[in-house]
Amino acid sequence: MTKYAITVEGLSKSFGPTQVLHGVDLRIEEGQVTCLIGPSGSGKSTLLRCMAFLEEASAGMITINGQPLGFDTLPGGERRRLAPEQIRVVRAQIGMCFQQFNLWPHMTALGNVSEALKTVKKIAKPEAEERAMVQLKKVGLEARAGHYPSQLSGGQQQRVAIARALALEPKIMLFDEPTSSLDPELTGEVLNVMRSLAQDGMTMVVVSHEIGFAASMGSKIAFLDHGKLLLEGTPQQVFGKPRHPRLDQFLDTYLDRGAAMLV
Amino acid sequence: MSLHIFSMMLQASGWTISLSAISILLGLVLSTVISAAMLAKNRAVSFAGRAFVSFFRGAPLLVQLLLIYNLLPVLGLNVPSVVAAIIGLTLCTAAYQAENLRGGFMSVPKGLLEAADMLGMTHFQQFWRIRAPIALRATLPALANEAILILKASSLVSVVGVVELSRMAQDLASSTFQPLPLFATAGFLYLVINSGVALAAQKLEQSFRWGVKV
Amino acid sequence: MTLDIDLITSMGPELLRAAGVTLSTWLCGALAALVLGFVVAVARRYGPSFLNPILRAYVELMRGTPFLIQLFLLYYGGPFVGISLDPIPAGLLGLSVYGAAYFSEIFRAGFEAVPRGHIEAGECLGLSRTQIVVRIMLPEMTMLILPAGVNMMIIMLKETAVLSFITVPELTFKISQIGSANYAFVESLFLLACIYWGLVELCSHLGYLAESKVRKYGLSHA
Repeated sequence: MTKYAITVEGLSKSFGPTQVLHGVDLRIEEGQVTCLIGPSGSGKSTLLRCMAFLEEASAGMITINGQPLGFDTLPGGERRRLAPEQIRVVRAQIGMCFQQFNLWPHMTALGNVSEALKTVKKIAKPEAEERAMVQLKKVGLEARAGHYPSQLSGGQQQRVAIARALALEPKIMLFDEPTSSLDPELTGEVLNVMRSLAQDGMTMVVVSHEIGFAASMGSKIAFLDHGKLLLEGTPQQVFGKPRHPRLDQFLDTYLDRGAAMLV
Repeated sequence: MSLHIFSMMLQASGWTISLSAISILLGLVLSTVISAAMLAKNRAVSFAGRAFVSFFRGAPLLVQLLLIYNLLPVLGLNVPSVVAAIIGLTLCTAAYQAENLRGGFMSVPKGLLEAADMLGMTHFQQFWRIRAPIALRATLPALANEAILILKASSLVSVVGVVELSRMAQDLASSTFQPLPLFATAGFLYLVINSGVALAAQKLEQSFRWGVKV
Repeated sequence: MTLDIDLITSMGPELLRAAGVTLSTWLCGALAALVLGFVVAVARRYGPSFLNPILRAYVELMRGTPFLIQLFLLYYGGPFVGISLDPIPAGLLGLSVYGAAYFSEIFRAGFEAVPRGHIEAGECLGLSRTQIVVRIMLPEMTMLILPAGVNMMIIMLKETAVLSFITVPELTFKISQIGSANYAFVESLFLLACIYWGLVELCSHLGYLAESKVRKYGLSHA
């Protein structure tokens, strides 16, 4: 059981009257890259955000490395909310990367990356900045450490955001459509960083429209549609012929269907 | 216009500036309290905050000044009229600044706070390290605007017997029977003061650029 | 400190008249300011270029000096240049000229917010300048300038109180007169504040109503 970095059991989520996730069961393995794909509104981002506890599920359970996230189930079957401290401890194992980068505009790249080390981990400024520079070097941006986000391109901002999350040494990295806000020529630099992270053995869950990336980097593909997990398996299993008709329908909207066909 | 008269106007300008500056600063402090009240979870507290803002933006400053000036002695507080004037100006500007602050805080993109959340920052840390600096920068233009409004509004405190630039101009106009040059000079002095504030605000905004090229 | 009911009832007719003065100077002043402000905005955008610095100076002057000083200049200084006005006309004129400067800026922002493409489309279809302004720009702008416009209306209502300084018999002037002569000042001032407060809230709500009706027609803040 502890082989699983994340387990999701019977997860449902509603926003008011709209139910977005219907009883999803999913297991994320350690050291693997799992890609969540599906049409808009399929609930894949919501599922990811539930894993990050940025959204609270309406029903179901999530565990991170065996520990319950946010809620645990009492013997009687009902859910109990955990204490904020407990939630924080479990959450600290997760790092997240957002579609909008979410870099803080009033701090430089170095400031952004070192901030949590200083504020949360209470590490002294010189050491925090040293560690931050190591991360910036990893994503290839040590030359831009003194730049503000407004002075960086989208691809550079996203790489800084990845460095910022990595600085806290998480065990799991979540990516919510990391390249969707980028101009096409800038996606490559971000995908390369993600590739090297995967090669280093980081457990990653990626929501993305980059089907080519998913097919080549993903150890597991999970296809969601209308809040339900329709398909789960290796790229060969999911993309290989004969394909699920819904998946075909979905891939039809993608020009790089060619990538999936090559799997 | 004689030099003597002009120097009296200049002196009165000084009173206008001090009066306004004190009220703006006190108002800034008070507005953070009111803002916090408006955002509070407690229904009664947030209602009180919103009622304060609504009243002090709904009634004319002139009426507020008269009210406070006449109310204080009734409450047993016999203060000099200058103090009453400052209290009046402060309460009024605090209401407007609280609205500006609220707008500033709401303009902080939610995603920035989610990122802070994911990195383990507590609400308290998020407020001081992320929300406050960004909200402050967003509020600067409105704050500069408010400063100019208070400088102009200070012309009304003559109604409670405080001498500042407008009152000085009035008194000099009636004793010299030369309203035109005197009020024109007063207007000119206000213009100079307000332009100064606008310029200072521009300079201040420079330090909040954060890399953005203009 | 008792509320003298008899006082209020005996002063009723006078107060009602004063309220009438407040409301009429506000509404007429606001209307005049709106029209004049629109003319200024159009003149700045489409008029001969020599007008621009003059009108810009006018706007900066109105916005950089207190309304009170402008009133004093007009009422006390006016006679020295041949403009001898009674309090109410002086107040009306002062309020209109003051408000027009602000409205002109509001309209100016509105004009600039209309996408160039919409105007060009009109030009290509052969619409005259007047038609473009009236049939394309104004409807699109309305949603955008409504909040600022309503806000300015409210500001003008509150500025009518300043007219008391030049003895215009509006509400603040009357209540000050009555109050200081009858020692019931605090209550009457509080009542006065609440009257303005109520009018301002009413104006706000009417503004929101208008906004919801007009929303579908046009531009709004992105």
